[in-house]
Amino acid sequence: MSWITIVWSINVGACLTLATMYLAVWCRERESFVYLLFSCIAASAALIAAYEMQLIRADTPEEYGAILRWRPLTTWVLVLSLVAFTRLYLHAGRSWMAFGACGLQTLTVIVNFAFTPNLYYEEITAVRHVAWGGETASIPLGSSNPWSLLNQATLLVLLAFFVDATITVWRRGDRERALIVGGTTSFFGAIVAGQFALVILGIIQVPFFASFAFLGIVVALGYQLCNDAVRAADLASELQVGEERFRRVVEAAPSAMIMVNHEGQITLANLQAEKTFGYSREELLGSPIEMLVPERLRSGYRDFRHDYLSHPRASPIGAERRELFGRRKDGSDVPVEIGLSPIHTSNGPLVLASIVDITQRKLAELEAARQRHDLAHIARVSTVGELSGSLAHELTHPITAILSNAQAAQRFLAHDAVDLDEIRDILNDIVNQDQRAGEVIHRLRHLLKKGEPQAQCDDVDLNEVIRDVVKLMRSDLVNRNVTVDTDLAQNLPAVTGDRVQLQQVLLNLMVNGCDAMANHHSSERRLLIASQSENGAVRVSVADCGGGIPEKKMEQVFERFFTTKKEGMGLGLSVCRTIIDAHRGKIWATNNAGCGATFHFSMPVVGVEKRQ
Amino acid sequence: MITVLPMPAPFAPTVFIVDDDEAVRKAVSRLLRSAGFAVAVFGSAGEFLAQYDPATPGCLVLDITMPEVDGLQLQATLSQKDSMLPIIFLTGHGDVSKSVQAMKRGAFDFLSKPVKDKDLLTAVRAAIERDAIARRKQAQLSAIRDRLDLLTTREREVLEHVVSGKLNKQIAGDLGITEATVKMHRAHVMEKMGVQSVAELARLTERYGVKLA
Repeated sequence: MSWITIVWSINVGACLTLATMYLAVWCRERESFVYLLFSCIAASAALIAAYEMQLIRADTPEEYGAILRWRPLTTWVLVLSLVAFTRLYLHAGRSWMAFGACGLQTLTVIVNFAFTPNLYYEEITAVRHVAWGGETASIPLGSSNPWSLLNQATLLVLLAFFVDATITVWRRGDRERALIVGGTTSFFGAIVAGQFALVILGIIQVPFFASFAFLGIVVALGYQLCNDAVRAADLASELQVGEERFRRVVEAAPSAMIMVNHEGQITLANLQAEKTFGYSREELLGSPIEMLVPERLRSGYRDFRHDYLSHPRASPIGAERRELFGRRKDGSDVPVEIGLSPIHTSNGPLVLASIVDITQRKLAELEAARQRHDLAHIARVSTVGELSGSLAHELTHPITAILSNAQAAQRFLAHDAVDLDEIRDILNDIVNQDQRAGEVIHRLRHLLKKGEPQAQCDDVDLNEVIRDVVKLMRSDLVNRNVTVDTDLAQNLPAVTGDRVQLQQVLLNLMVNGCDAMANHHSSERRLLIASQSENGAVRVSVADCGGGIPEKKMEQVFERFFTTKKEGMGLGLSVCRTIIDAHRGKIWATNNAGCGATFHFSMPVVGVEKRQ
Repeated sequence: MITVLPMPAPFAPTVFIVDDDEAVRKAVSRLLRSAGFAVAVFGSAGEFLAQYDPATPGCLVLDITMPEVDGLQLQATLSQKDSMLPIIFLTGHGDVSKSVQAMKRGAFDFLSKPVKDKDLLTAVRAAIERDAIARRKQAQLSAIRDRLDLLTTREREVLEHVVSGKLNKQIAGDLGITEATVKMHRAHVMEKMGVQSVAELARLTERYGVKLA
């Protein structure tokens, strides 16, 4: 058997093998068009090799011309595939060059079929048999077609495209690809172009062997693709390890972790998620995340999810003040805190939610609130106890007025001429005084009532609190010879809180102020109570004209069991601070420029707090 | 002849009420009016002092606890002015120490709020009565003083001896004058003092505690 047959057959076989292999690969990974394109390149290279083998064996000019006639069509497939491959695989090459090469090659094919026998020759006069490496090979004789320059032009543009793409990839830093893909295509492309031109122009008398250059290209590309496949496999196994690690970390996390895709379906859930929500993992996976949101909150939640996915951002646990709830399988609520971290993938955004069940903490908070409430109540009862004499006095006035009015009426009615206007006035006064007594009792009962810690948070006008407490303390203030002035801001914004506890704070501050002035002359015993609105907060201050506070005890006065009074327990101000802290406010003391000290407390305004 | 019986009072007795609580003073004043008393009400000690005429008889119903000047201070101010106006204090609970102080300073009565009509009216009647007696006594005392002022030095010496029960002869001996002169001075004393008998003269000087020089 001749070596030509062997060598060319090997060439065809190699190319076909590669073509088949990568076609099979493409069939499994349909979206990787690179494999299909490579398969086309290899197949067309095999065809070209087959043509060449036939050409070497051709006996007549007609046979030679007929075989050569089909060559441009194969080259067309090869060129288009190569250009597309380069663009897709290397992401390089100027598009005008790509379109130029493809356009010219298409034109070549069209022109080719317009001529007989083909684009390359106007006429093939004879086939000459030459000795080539110990074998006989056919070489055409005839006049070359000027249109074959089109073929040369195509090859030149293609070559320029490859060189340009190679330089781009090289500059990009991907030198391996630049050398193997760009370099080999450019190099072998140059060989093809050169040999083709020389043979057709009759300058060298050898058969076409360009198919080996194509084989070179196919082998180089095949090698690179194989390399990529190996690397992808490495990466995949690394990824698998990474993902396994990720799953284990998620599984071992002390908080419930749930991953949700952009459609709101759960794609991952850990053990703690099962425990928190009471669903098994099978039930969780693939279910809509809304399943874990209480029904009453679902519509709001959907909007939130859409907003979040359009602007995903990592939000740490507790960044939002509002209370969040999840829904267990049995339909009950579970208070939670949620941290969200968006993960970007090629399949769209995923969101990993870390959910902490804060039931226990809520219970502890409730217990703390209850204890605080109890302590505040005890302190309040003790303060009211101190004031009880004065408070009783406050009741004495209306009761005295009622009794005297009633007895006066009895006497008037015993007179011969009854003055009905007088009786009417008396009855009106009795009603008014009864209401007055009722208000005193109401205020007092309100202050002594224990109530529920959570139930009493409503909007409170601190000016109203000040007026109430001043009324409550009226008799005590008279007894102590203390004059109270108020400077209340108009249109004071409301604060959120427990009205009674805030009354208690003010009551304590006023009693303290009075106590501080007990040893001063009665003309100096003045309290100034002021309210003002500042920077989204309301501030209330109680200024006395007593002895003031030593600078180093400024903070100490708020400590529990700190007292300067003989009968004091040292609870008053510490309870004030506890109450104000629980209302997210501040309480502090300052010394006045003239005399005495001022106690201030400030609390956030309702709207401002909600916005935070 | 000049009479020593009480002169008719220039004013009807009035009950003054001082209380800072408007409702209370209005009600108490109604009660007192219903019992036929003339009433004058004041919201503070200052208001009362500005309008009070000491010549008006009656009594004062005073709230012990008031802002600025309280009941005790008003009592003190009145006593500095030698006012005889009897004071009935109205006290609330917890005013024990103040009440004790007021009592020591000669308050007429204490009534705790709320006050029953009978208690208040009884106290007011008694106070007005005492005021009237006091004023009458005061008037008689000043009448006796006026008459004593009419006596000459010698006549006063004679008076002292007469009320100590000495006879004309003894008096003449003590003073170194004749018995006839003693008789003449004695007649002048009886006439100037407006009495008929020595017994009457003695009772007058003794009952009203006139200290003789």
